[in-house]
Amino acid sequence: MTPLERHCGWLLRAYPVWYRRKRAGEMLSTLLEASPPGRGWPSFRDAQALVIGGLRVRGRVWWLSMLWVVIGAAITGYAFFITTKPIHADFWIPLLNTEPAVVSVAAYLTVAAWVVLTIPVLIAGFAQLRWRGLRMAAWAGAWAAGFALMYQAGKWGRYPGNSPAIGSPAVISWGELGLCAAWLALGAVMTWILAAPHHSRKAAEASSRPSRQASS
Amino acid sequence: MREPTYFVLASLLDGPLHGYAIIQRTEELSGGRVRLATGTLYTALDRLTGEGYVELVREEIVNGRVRRSYGLTPPGAGALRAEAARMADAARLVTDRGRHLKAGGSAPKASPA
Repeated sequence: MTPLERHCGWLLRAYPVWYRRKRAGEMLSTLLEASPPGRGWPSFRDAQALVIGGLRVRGRVWWLSMLWVVIGAAITGYAFFITTKPIHADFWIPLLNTEPAVVSVAAYLTVAAWVVLTIPVLIAGFAQLRWRGLRMAAWAGAWAAGFALMYQAGKWGRYPGNSPAIGSPAVISWGELGLCAAWLALGAVMTWILAAPHHSRKAAEASSRPSRQASS
Repeated sequence: MREPTYFVLASLLDGPLHGYAIIQRTEELSGGRVRLATGTLYTALDRLTGEGYVELVREEIVNGRVRRSYGLTPPGAGALRAEAARMADAARLVTDRGRHLKAGGSAPKASPA
């Protein structure tokens, strides 16, 4: 496998599995043909188009959910980090903690963005999953887990030392590290739930299977 | 119909083509204006097959990889022709006036109707 093939393969991972199964081989040949010989990477335009195309196939719900998860993990990490500061006020009341005002305000806005994202993304996910089936139950469960993680983060963030610390001076505790890891796992689970092809599946299937009309 | 879509459909007028051939033909037909990235091409093909304008006509294995050729369907050809007629009408609006400009120096005042 040439470096170009390998790098194209990485970029193709922007697309969900069901789509790659049908299209990746074909797209890879096109990418290889489109790239001038001797290059290790596809052109910037091609790379950009693959990422955008992948996000489009995955759908708005997927990347908004991922944004929600990443912001959640970041808030959790930051909330724990702030408790290691010598004199700390509550992270949940920004502007009172010892961080510079800019950082405080940015953190506050991030929390606001997380809260604002919650309801529309939750509902959009239910709509995409058609309000039925195992995946919808999994979706509801994933969100409950997300809130539970944020609640636990809030509790531990407020009272440092609730869980055994790592290193000295302590920067973060095992429990807190676990929470951050749980956030990332939640992201993976949500990706899996939403990986079920939705509206764009029909189109991709139609275009990767010869039509009867043409073969007769 | 957006310009890339128009040229993708037009590239299939002479018969089915595979992915990279569509990219090349599209660039050629548009005088280099429409340069499709691979991802963009397949997004367009997904949409066009969904709309029934384009269909998969041939599947072959080249260098161990699947190569698929796409062709224009009758509805696709119809939509392309309709778009061409619409653009020709729109062009006439200007080119007809252009004749006046060349002949008379100043364009005649547009009638209120």
